[in-house]
Amino acid sequence: MTETFAPQWLDDDGAHIDVRGLPPPEPLVAILTLIERADVPDTVIVHHDRDPLLLYPELAERGWTAEMVPGEVGEVRLRLTRAP
Amino acid sequence: MTLAATFLGGARSRLLPASVPFAFFAAAVVFHLLAWLALFAGADEVATFSGGFGLPLAAIHLLTLGTFAMTAMGAAFQLLPVATRQPLHSVWPTRLAFWLLVPGVPLLAFGMTTGAPAPLWAGAIGATAGLATAGAVIADNLRRARDMPVVAAHGWIAIAALIGLTAAGIALIADFRGGFLADHQAVALAHVIVAAYGFMGFLVLGFSHILLPMFALSPLPPVRPAWWSYGLAVAALLIATAAAVTADAHLLAAAALLGLAAVALHLWLMAWIVRKRLRKRLDLSLRVMHLAWILLPAGPLIGLMLATGIAVPGGATLFGFLLLGGWLLTFLTGVLQRIMPFLASMHTAKLAGKAPLVSELTAVGPLRIHAVCHAAALAVISAGIGLDQTTAIRAGAASGIAGALAFGWFAVRIVLRLRRAQAL
Repeated sequence: MTETFAPQWLDDDGAHIDVRGLPPPEPLVAILTLIERADVPDTVIVHHDRDPLLLYPELAERGWTAEMVPGEVGEVRLRLTRAP
Repeated sequence: MTLAATFLGGARSRLLPASVPFAFFAAAVVFHLLAWLALFAGADEVATFSGGFGLPLAAIHLLTLGTFAMTAMGAAFQLLPVATRQPLHSVWPTRLAFWLLVPGVPLLAFGMTTGAPAPLWAGAIGATAGLATAGAVIADNLRRARDMPVVAAHGWIAIAALIGLTAAGIALIADFRGGFLADHQAVALAHVIVAAYGFMGFLVLGFSHILLPMFALSPLPPVRPAWWSYGLAVAALLIATAAAVTADAHLLAAAALLGLAAVALHLWLMAWIVRKRLRKRLDLSLRVMHLAWILLPAGPLIGLMLATGIAVPGGATLFGFLLLGGWLLTFLTGVLQRIMPFLASMHTAKLAGKAPLVSELTAVGPLRIHAVCHAAALAVISAGIGLDQTTAIRAGAASGIAGALAFGWFAVRIVLRLRRAQAL
């Protein structure tokens, strides 16, 4: 049975989730599961290996915004912010 | 949503111009209406239809080549590169496939209605060239896919079936004049099986493994049952094709049993995905897909009954109607009504920097009308075929036309909202 495993941790700049290496649409599900949790902070940093095209409509639907921030080589790093 | 142009730069190669998928979807919506109109006009020939020129044959090809293939291509050209992370080498073959199919399908349908050789051959050549071009694009992307072996394996069967169905289709058209086939009806049945189950069926079964988790926001389904379902479906397809060519009822019964087992596993996998979904509310598109899943076993079940000598009112005609109109059309309208607003949102995010919500782009009212009219059409036409009642078939087709118009209304609203958002 397929199980999604995406490492998650808390840092000064918010909650982090690393979805690199997961097949689609597992990153989408892991990120949305995280932001729908009651205890998630207003900022989430996503470590991805591609631009998650399918994520943006879902984020907008949930009142979150996304912007790219500098990351490692080969990484697409996003800062997700809960809209005020 | 803050999306700098550079942010989408890397994605641009995977996100086709909106005009590509939406041109295919618009064509699918128009052919959907034309198919119902042809069925309405030819209602008196439907109950006893067993092949040959006429409006029912035209309606079938408007639906299969016009609606099914166009929907599959629009979705595959846009979503395969996203899912496989492999951009298309170039966009022009997708446009070529479109411009070959758009005149090819109505010409073929006109030729199939009248039996006139010129439009029949012109349409057949255009449609075949369009399908071959699209098949080459999909095959090239599948060849480079690494992450999705189950989806790719289904895709390869669909590509092989595409070659088989076009070869059989051309042979059948040539045979109308040449009369060289030993058994025209046997080849026609093989063409139906390979086209509906082999090509469209395997595309639907395979893409469901990625599309449904995307729509419902679920994890990927378990791999082992997915491979079992695939293996059983391949065996059923091969045996059913052999049974059609040899007119062997025992083989046909075996294929139907294997097909039912494959369907049972597929439905179990779909239920697993729906059960695990993050999106708690079942929107209309998923409910429409549920209706398609309910109707999916009807085809192999009726095939089994016919092969074992159990009388089925409407027999092979009912089998064909529930396979094409019941399962495939229902499922694909469910896909279209989910995918069109979703893609529109993705494209407007790219251009405007702010994505309109999917819920703002869709149009629930027309979709509800379509769902009711479509379900009514399926029920009334099935009864009309079973009871050999032309009036019921025509009334059902009228309901289908009303549903197709409502679906067109939904599609036009999305395109207008997409253009408005792009203009901002």
